[in-house]
Amino acid sequence: MIIAERKPMPEIMEMISGIKKLLILGCRGCVAVCSAGGDKEVNIMVEAITLGKKLKGETIEIDQDVLVRQCDPEYLEPLKEKVKEYDAILSMACGVGVNFLAEQYPDTLVLPALNTTFYGANLSSGEWKEMCAGCGACVLHLTGGLCPVARCAKHLSNGPCGGSVNGRCEVDPNTPCVWQLIYDRLKRLNLSENMRKIMPIRDWTPSGEGGPRRRVREDLLP
Amino acid sequence: MSDRPGKVIGFCCNYTTQVTEEPLKEAGILPESVEFKRLSCTGKLEVSSLLAAFSRHGADAVFVAGCPEEECHNFSGSRRASKRVKYTKQILSELGIEPERIEMFFVPRQETEPVVKAAKEMLSRLEKLGPIIKKDSNNKEGNDSGKAA
Repeated sequence: MIIAERKPMPEIMEMISGIKKLLILGCRGCVAVCSAGGDKEVNIMVEAITLGKKLKGETIEIDQDVLVRQCDPEYLEPLKEKVKEYDAILSMACGVGVNFLAEQYPDTLVLPALNTTFYGANLSSGEWKEMCAGCGACVLHLTGGLCPVARCAKHLSNGPCGGSVNGRCEVDPNTPCVWQLIYDRLKRLNLSENMRKIMPIRDWTPSGEGGPRRRVREDLLP
Repeated sequence: MSDRPGKVIGFCCNYTTQVTEEPLKEAGILPESVEFKRLSCTGKLEVSSLLAAFSRHGADAVFVAGCPEEECHNFSGSRRASKRVKYTKQILSELGIEPERIEMFFVPRQETEPVVKAAKEMLSRLEKLGPIIKKDSNNKEGNDSGKAA
């Protein structure tokens, strides 16, 4: 899922400075699962902003809502008339939701309450780890299912580098070297030969280096 | 410091004290400015409820009195509450509010005295901290000069 985290409150308070009527809009997609922008977090944001404004002796009118997803037009549609009532929407969705809202409602100021960080897995309650970089050219079949693009600090295709020491990454000794993990896993699966396969120089175009990516499936188009 | 350093709201679970604040106030044990809110378990508390005590219910200090950490009636309720108090402290700090305005107390079950002690500890903190809205702050309520978008 997409992992995000709340922006620091001073940044949010600065963003909404001068706003008189605000809609705080949560999302029940990924950001709800990673406890950044779902129902509970919207409730917290409402109270935090109310308190912050009270402290400054300022007033603000706040409404709140949480959509099933902010990245689908069908869920944004009911907001069409409602958004006109507000000076701004503080979106608690990932960056996709903020972008999509902004495109759907060109006359409404849309502000981000979160920093969108990575595609990750939920290791345990309150802990998430990056597992995928969305690079558009998956090589997991060669690497035992472990991603060197997302999990190697140098995104090496043919690792490990010389900085891998005792299975740890030189960039952060608390991080296991993913190429060591790949080696160990391939060995366990009797696929060590994969380590000898040299991957070609990576084409980063599918990763977004060629501009914003778009996927179209003709069979699903209306 | 004045007789009323500010309002204290205490969230107490059903097991930490069976006593409401009224008889304690009548007996002169607690001042009028202390309010108890009883819950079935402190684990039920949300961060938004703790913040709302400050933002909507006029608290200048808040405490949570839950079961001893390893002896919670509901196993992990008071531990969860403690974590939420910690996160609330973080948000208060980010807003420029002293985090010591909120505290978690693990208190023996079925005893009123430790809860009263917790309330008095918060009142004592308020004597140093003063009310959450400082009288000398630039309070613009009702006279907001901010620019609407």
